Amino acid sequence: MLTRNPTNHQTDATAIYNSPNPRMHLPSRARLVCCVIALLAFVSIAHAADWRQLAAQLSSKIAAATGPDVIALDIANRSSISAAEVENIRRNLADMLANSGVRVWQPEQAAGSVKVTLSESLQNYVWVAEVRQGTNELSVVMVSMPRPESTTSAQNSLPLTLHATTLLSQPDPILDIAVIEGSPRRMMVLGGNSVTPYEFRDGHWLPGQPLAINHARPLPRDLRGRIVLRKDHLFDAYLPGQVCHSTNAAPLGMTCAGSDDPWPLQVEDSAVSAFFAPARNFFTGALVPGIGQQKSAPSFYSAAAVPRDKYALWVLTGVDGQLHLLDGINQQTLTKIRWGSDLAAIHVLCRVGSQVLASSAGNDSPDTVQAFEFPDREPVAVSQKLELNGNVTALWTAQNGQNAIAVFRDADNENYEADLLNLACGQ
Amino acid sequence: MQTTKTMKQTCSILLAASSLLWSATAVAAARPRYGGTLRLAVKETPATFDPATLATAGPAGLSRLVFETLTTLDERGRPQPGLAVSWQVEPGNQRWRVLLRNGVSFHDGAILDANAVGASLRASNPNWKIVASADTVIIETDTAEPGLPAELALDRNSIFRRAGGKIGGTGPFSIAQWDSGKRLTLKANDQYWAGRPFLDSIEIDFGKDYREQATLLDLAKADVIEIAPENIHRAQAEGRTVINSEPSKLMALAFAGGPTSEDEAHARAALTMSIDTTAINNVVLQGGGVPAGALLPNWETGYAFTFPVGGSTEIAHQERAQSRRLTSWTLGYDASDSISRVIAERILLNARDAGITLQLASSGATDLRLLRISLPSAEPHVALTELSKALQLPGPKFSSSSVAALYSAEASLLQTHRIIPLVHVRSAVALRANVHDWITFPNGEWRIENVWLAPEKP
Repeated sequence: MLTRNPTNHQTDATAIYNSPNPRMHLPSRARLVCCVIALLAFVSIAHAADWRQLAAQLSSKIAAATGPDVIALDIANRSSISAAEVENIRRNLADMLANSGVRVWQPEQAAGSVKVTLSESLQNYVWVAEVRQGTNELSVVMVSMPRPESTTSAQNSLPLTLHATTLLSQPDPILDIAVIEGSPRRMMVLGGNSVTPYEFRDGHWLPGQPLAINHARPLPRDLRGRIVLRKDHLFDAYLPGQVCHSTNAAPLGMTCAGSDDPWPLQVEDSAVSAFFAPARNFFTGALVPGIGQQKSAPSFYSAAAVPRDKYALWVLTGVDGQLHLLDGINQQTLTKIRWGSDLAAIHVLCRVGSQVLASSAGNDSPDTVQAFEFPDREPVAVSQKLELNGNVTALWTAQNGQNAIAVFRDADNENYEADLLNLACGQ
Repeated sequence: MQTTKTMKQTCSILLAASSLLWSATAVAAARPRYGGTLRLAVKETPATFDPATLATAGPAGLSRLVFETLTTLDERGRPQPGLAVSWQVEPGNQRWRVLLRNGVSFHDGAILDANAVGASLRASNPNWKIVASADTVIIETDTAEPGLPAELALDRNSIFRRAGGKIGGTGPFSIAQWDSGKRLTLKANDQYWAGRPFLDSIEIDFGKDYREQATLLDLAKADVIEIAPENIHRAQAEGRTVINSEPSKLMALAFAGGPTSEDEAHARAALTMSIDTTAINNVVLQGGGVPAGALLPNWETGYAFTFPVGGSTEIAHQERAQSRRLTSWTLGYDASDSISRVIAERILLNARDAGITLQLASSGATDLRLLRISLPSAEPHVALTELSKALQLPGPKFSSSSVAALYSAEASLLQTHRIIPLVHVRSAVALRANVHDWITFPNGEWRIENVWLAPEKP
């Protein structure tokens, strides 16, 4: 079974900080059901209030057009408003009209008729009343109210369970996050124009002063970046054609310079690095120091290492859309496997070997992430797909090697949401 | 000074990576791939690539690949920052202060500044008083213009620069080659402020009829083609990847002038009600649109259904009975458009049933013409104003920015009896499977700056 912890989703323009507490007091499915019910109830109540307001406006306009009278009321729905809500709206309208001296009665006994159509445009709910009285000409009155952004949600459920815990949601792009365990917990958030430190206090992530990154040239589309914690200073941040080094003493500072230095593919020191194309969104394929005897690979978006006894099997998502395997001597292309462009290797303690989290390759939205193992050269799924409510924009191994950071563009509010992904055993 | 809109300073990539999709090829988890040439085949044959004229001649959205505007409209028709990062208006809605984006340059390397913006806007808006100062442009209008930010997003308000006999913009692509009315080649702008586009180049072949386009797609000589509204369902049934807009292109009958008498007004009303627009849509257009009683489609206003559509013989006869003289008009249509001819013939028959005589004419001056007009804007007030200009109708008067005021203004235009809306038709394209992130907005406008080509499957 898969769970997501969509804590405190909001649509404010400002950053939203969420509790990362992965401990759940309720079973995950029950928690999810509760959240959904609560969300639906909230949405329903919020709409009900808006509908009443709109109904009040429309009833007063109808009353102004008809004067005190007996009318037949017909309601047609041409909008996305549900049938249940339409019935409530009908009752509200009838009550409000009655309060204005307009009685709603059977058509055959009514002096006039009012046809209310609940319509909508891209921007607004538009309620239109077409009023007919006797032989008078048709008169049309209408009221409108802005439509909210569309709301959708997604959810999905092998031997391992993939969990997502929201770290941060904000309008600006999130390229990577490095979480620093300690007291208090901290994290460094890499964006396109800054690195922002956060501290976890009182159940919330609180931002510190951002460290600006100045760019000498336009950033490429589909911007990518990596932030890696270091032993002799706090972190290094990598952007296409640029590398930033933090200071090693307080106050925290950062210096950035144009650089084609390779980006680390693994979080360990002395690990494999790869050169990133300075104005593109992929690794060129040049490796440092290389994978065994292999110093180069096809251009790739993402790479994950699966340790074996005497070597590491590397899995690369190529720019050519293929999955490539490198074992230090041979290169193999898995033509039948269709994954997305992003991979992250993690290690869950209850399993032998590493797992590879991979984004989906299908044309269905929202994107999914799924865990795989490589018993030999073919991937085997070890978790179900975890749906993320939007398109994945980043997927990196977290600093501890046991989690991954996934960033996706939330389809509901267009915020960038960073989640901490972890695999749990036996749930 | 009253602030009406102050945009957040978001990084350029946020804009570039905008996922405001209406109809798009959904791409899940596959990263965009840099490189390649996108090949388009289209029916139109624009004679120039000047932003002032291309707006009416080329496919909607093509010009903004090269020429950008101060604002853009999102999929719901709301103004968003473009070359301007923010705008403020003074009370009265007649004086606007627009702050320009820094770090933008034209394709020839010249820096975008207020003077260049002022020069472009003056060319397309001679009635505006424009003051250019550093990174700010002040626009003063004779009358209140609450919708000016949306108006600035129109193609005719594109910002361009003429130098050395060439015209250039600030957009994600620059003109590499222009073979008038035949072929346009665009190349990626490596210095584009919102990030170099994924594609290396775009080639557009103009003047290809729908049959030629389908052949080019089948032979893999084009990646994207247009689909006629009447062929949308067939293309989908054939398994093509089709992306279509909302019904947005207006087919209408336009009279050369207003009615000269009450009799003629009744005769025009009779003609309006005699035309079976439902049959035209279902039979001739194969359901590629919706019957229209209004100028603006319902998805844009929410009230269009209140305007009656044609096809009521009874009402047509009632109106005809109130017109005491025999009516005979000439009806012009585009002879190069076979569908227009079929529709014109149906209108002729419907009118005859109502006692109105029409004569078809494919050339010369006529009493009324069968037109096809693209929706000029996704913002309804701007759309109605621009439609009125295109149809030479009186300018609409909006008492406020409300939907009710929009309705009143549109109702007034229809009451002039100078225009008879028939159908709102969809625009559609068919794509090869390797084309990703193609976006068609509800109003039919192409947003293709983020398109990329996946590797061909082996």
